[in-house]
Amino acid sequence: MNDQVKVDEDRAERVEKLQGMGCKRKRVEDVRFTQGKGNYVDDLKLPGMVFGDFVRSPHAHARIKSIDTSRAQALPGVVAVLTAADLKPLDLHYMPTLAGDVQAVLAEEKVLFQNQEVAFVIAEDRYIASDATELVDVEYEALPAIVDPFKSMDDDAPILREDIKDKMEGAHGPRKHPNHIFEWEIGDKEETDKIFAEADVTIKEMLVDHRTHPSPLETCQSVASFDKITGDLTLWGTFQAPHVIRTVVSLISKIPEHKIHVIAPDIGGGFGNKVGAYAGYVCSVVGSIVLGTPVKWVEDRMENLSTTSFARDYHMSTELAATNEGKITAMRVHVIADHGAFDACADPSKWPAGFMNICTGSYDIPTAHLSVDGVYTNKASGGVAYRCSFRVTEAVFAIERAVELLAQKLDMDAAELRLKNFVKAEQFPYKSALGWEYDSGDYHTAMNKAMEAIGYDDLRKEQAKKREAFKKGKTREIMGIGISFFTEIVGAGPSKNCDILGVAMFDSAEIRIHPTGSVIARMGTKSQGQGHETTYAQIIATEIGIPADDITIEEGNTDTAPYGLGTYGSRSTPVAGAATAVAARKIRAKAQMIAAHTMEVHEGDLEWDVDRFRVKGLPEKAMTMQEIAWTAYNSPPPNMEPGLEAVNYYEPPNMTYPFGSYYCVMDIDVDTGVAKTRRFYALDDCGTRINPMIIEGQVHGGLTEAFACAMGQEIRYDEMGNVMGASFMDFFLPTAVETPHWETDFTVTPSPHHPIGAKGVGESPHVGGVPCFSNAVNDAYSFLGAGHIQMPHDAWRLWQVGERLGLHN
Amino acid sequence: MDMNDSQYIEASREAVYAALNDVDVLRKCIPGCESIEMTSDTEMDAKVTLKVGPVKARFSGKIALSDLDPPNGYTISGEGSGGMAGFAKGGANVRLEADGSGTMLYYTVKADIGGKIAQLGSRLIDSTAKKLAGKFFSEFSKNVGSS
Repeated sequence: MNDQVKVDEDRAERVEKLQGMGCKRKRVEDVRFTQGKGNYVDDLKLPGMVFGDFVRSPHAHARIKSIDTSRAQALPGVVAVLTAADLKPLDLHYMPTLAGDVQAVLAEEKVLFQNQEVAFVIAEDRYIASDATELVDVEYEALPAIVDPFKSMDDDAPILREDIKDKMEGAHGPRKHPNHIFEWEIGDKEETDKIFAEADVTIKEMLVDHRTHPSPLETCQSVASFDKITGDLTLWGTFQAPHVIRTVVSLISKIPEHKIHVIAPDIGGGFGNKVGAYAGYVCSVVGSIVLGTPVKWVEDRMENLSTTSFARDYHMSTELAATNEGKITAMRVHVIADHGAFDACADPSKWPAGFMNICTGSYDIPTAHLSVDGVYTNKASGGVAYRCSFRVTEAVFAIERAVELLAQKLDMDAAELRLKNFVKAEQFPYKSALGWEYDSGDYHTAMNKAMEAIGYDDLRKEQAKKREAFKKGKTREIMGIGISFFTEIVGAGPSKNCDILGVAMFDSAEIRIHPTGSVIARMGTKSQGQGHETTYAQIIATEIGIPADDITIEEGNTDTAPYGLGTYGSRSTPVAGAATAVAARKIRAKAQMIAAHTMEVHEGDLEWDVDRFRVKGLPEKAMTMQEIAWTAYNSPPPNMEPGLEAVNYYEPPNMTYPFGSYYCVMDIDVDTGVAKTRRFYALDDCGTRINPMIIEGQVHGGLTEAFACAMGQEIRYDEMGNVMGASFMDFFLPTAVETPHWETDFTVTPSPHHPIGAKGVGESPHVGGVPCFSNAVNDAYSFLGAGHIQMPHDAWRLWQVGERLGLHN
Repeated sequence: MDMNDSQYIEASREAVYAALNDVDVLRKCIPGCESIEMTSDTEMDAKVTLKVGPVKARFSGKIALSDLDPPNGYTISGEGSGGMAGFAKGGANVRLEADGSGTMLYYTVKADIGGKIAQLGSRLIDSTAKKLAGKFFSEFSKNVGSS
């Protein structure tokens, strides 16, 4: 017995030393970040480097009559001024977007949104470049602007994209109007219409997930350095997907891909904003090719918020049909998707509306139909997944608001209605009406745990009392209980349905064990703050028994890292994390052969024990991974090649489907419209948990961004197309002062098809958080007959709700 | 941007109307006016430096007078561009009514503002416009009074 205790203790000690999966390992990257030693694009200083800055359009829609750069070129320190006329002979005045459209790099005949790039001034320093932009004289003829996406396809709407006005076949099928981008539909329309026509109860509401912006603290930027002697181009930039950028640069510049070296150094947040290709990247590259010196481009805050990819702007007409008993029988959704002036959505190519068809949510809805019309407007282009997998935040917002509206109509408790309609644990894998196969889930367990933790029944009782008190005039405060139960779809994705411009959405890991048993591993993904250097090392540590502290993780250099599709849509753990585990297992398999040969036993006689192979029945006879590494290089078995390394390109068999149950308790002063979040409880199920501390940090961050979007953050345009949310004076970015306290919890339902059962978590809190806040606000006002209240729910708008309801008399 | 207001001026309608057509008076009274030149009987070129919140810009533009109805009023309209800072386009209807020994000047302004001024200064535009109008009329009253 004592011996067994000793063995167990020794084992536990070795497990602890590994700092592998499941432990709260401190983030290794924070050592440099917290000391100001991060290395960002703007930290880069190269000899002879010059700086670019854009001349931008003050108009939302205008014809360019003339551009005169002579005054700017005469300013001492200015080295070049590029316009569309300079780019056109190189065929670079337009660039391809990830959505199959083209986007003007520098405007040629027309500008289509305010702050659009018109000329690129390059100067010896940033200040001269900025001054010189004011010396470029551009003469415009203003044209009427389309700001309201519902007016884009009017008969008398001005044609925005004259460059493609005769091209009535777009990247995603026929276009119905010159300002139409695509129509996309899925599901059984006929059957859905039939069920709606015969339904006991239906609800219909226009749910708007308004335009906002990922607003990473570090803006988009790049440094291009073209070597005229060798023909090599090195491009440093804020790239969430550096390998894709290399391929795109090669395709548009015609420089062979092996001559292009893309490097994404430390990135200060991405949230989807740094997936796309931007005019600044192209202009820095062209500038460097023309001048032969490195050219740096750094966005300022207004440029970031008003020009590089926005998010959302989905106008979703959402309907549910149900029985009188509350069983949902069908869902029907039509979306007007405002993509701005160019279709620069960053979705997998076959999915122009992203994974919007996850909109049946966590419910067993037998029949559904979804259609989406994408339209052009005079606004900045984009439509990226802001801290979510492609359009999943929009989808979850639609279903979670709709379920609340249905509960209200049925006069049924909103939690009870959800429990009644959830997909049951025994139904997984579950095929949804709109085509996805949910890999795993246990919704009832998660929901019940959350309801108990928040004290749901007591909260409803308290709310009933407060409502009575409000009606009697004893209080001016109303209480809302927000619920959301979300199912995400992340980890894009299987090549049969996911590619970007034809590049399949696999990801990769390459692991190399050094002779002394330490490790370098490289992935095709790119951390923007997610903590990859910490978590990938934990996966490897557990898989091959080498302490995480002895493992270096490297990403972002396309010369050294294996090709991968990058980090967005919570795909790093589901795809590159899987590649890491599979590559590590290849190494362990080779290690087992080496150990068997060295200890002169059959491979089958060995068992893996934390960090070593042990001969079964002879516990003292073992070889540690360190010993095996040395042997692998210096005395491998005959006929075996020396060395110990492995590569895996992982093609996921399915997406993963993380889920969660969130609750928000909110108190709102009807006279001021000020909403206070009393409690926010978030239960996440992301499958196997690699690092609980990093998960908690991700949940905190995602909830904070959800709070921002739901409660105030917006990129608004006035009727002339002036962008009204382009500085932090107007754009709500919560600080520690506004941010509520977060309570986190979890259940674990591992993914059955992922090598370690992990599902991804970075975006869940955002996806689930936005509807939870909005539901809390809507629930608070529901007893006053408010109807659906659109986001964002800032104090000004909530005060207006009070005005509308006559609460201020 | 919309603005409706009125201003009492201690001078006859004829004197006020004449002053409203006098580029020298306008040059002195328009806040930030660097130059203003008649290019025809009813048209002027002007250069004005304006500051709205954090944005300062030099506008150059054209001004036109129309609906001339001496001494009852006119319509003044114009458009100007401040380059990167933005642009403005709009006009004012001016109506003069005798009021005792002086004149009541009623004005209705409608203007569209675009570019950086609109983006950054949107919340400041109305108050800035009121302030500029106030400056104009205090100066204008002084000049018309002395003429």
